Amino acid sequence: MEITATTQNNVAILALSGRLDALSSPALEQHVDTLLQGGARRLVFDCTALSYASSAGLRVFLGSAKKFRSAGGSAAFAALAPAVREVFELSGFIGVLEIHPTTAAATSG
Amino acid sequence: MPESVHTLVLANELGEIPRLADGIEAFCGPLAPAPKDLFALQLALEEAVTNVINHGYTDGAAHTVTVELQARGRCVTAVVSDDAPAYDPLARPEVDTRLPLESRSVGGLGVHLVKKLVDAAHYERRDGRNVLTLSRTFGPPAGPL
Repeated sequence: MEITATTQNNVAILALSGRLDALSSPALEQHVDTLLQGGARRLVFDCTALSYASSAGLRVFLGSAKKFRSAGGSAAFAALAPAVREVFELSGFIGVLEIHPTTAAATSG
Repeated sequence: MPESVHTLVLANELGEIPRLADGIEAFCGPLAPAPKDLFALQLALEEAVTNVINHGYTDGAAHTVTVELQARGRCVTAVVSDDAPAYDPLARPEVDTRLPLESRSVGGLGVHLVKKLVDAAHYERRDGRNVLTLSRTFGPPAGPL
């Protein structure tokens, strides 16, 4: 998996590409923790090129949303591919996580 | 008899997960599965194998987890087998996927996904091994891109 970090109008964006599995998810968690410690309070995961996510990745996603919320911020998920969206649905994440159709919508919100 | 069989022998370390995914994709190649079917099978097997790697062993020693893939028509069956202490992952209580964010945890989510993504799941303890059998019947072959 590749993780590309950018910042736009005080919004931290992590663009994920490839497979978020049990092997690659700890690296994502480190990125998220670093952003939070660096003072970021709004995080958007750009999932356009994310082709796969297992429960290990979902654990990091859920943890990120919780950590940002308890720091007074928020985390959002944008541009889910159909297969990844289905895993979100099966996991009951659609109602509890902030999800946007596009990264632009998530960063302007 | 199944029409084709392939066995993946994996070490009990997470570094094996990409090899598992690649092995499933290679085995299913001749069936030309729709992306959704391949994704579901890879995800269910990652969850099953990761569970064994992360929680199965307490002795710190090297073990192997085997995944035997069988195809019969468009039904793919995977038999996951390990020599960890007896544990039936399917017996875990159902997770409540309706709780609000603060109350949610992802313990048990892997097994929940396994149950949702396969058509049949069966556990047994056989000859000192955990044997988890998962099957999914694929839809029609994916058309040309």
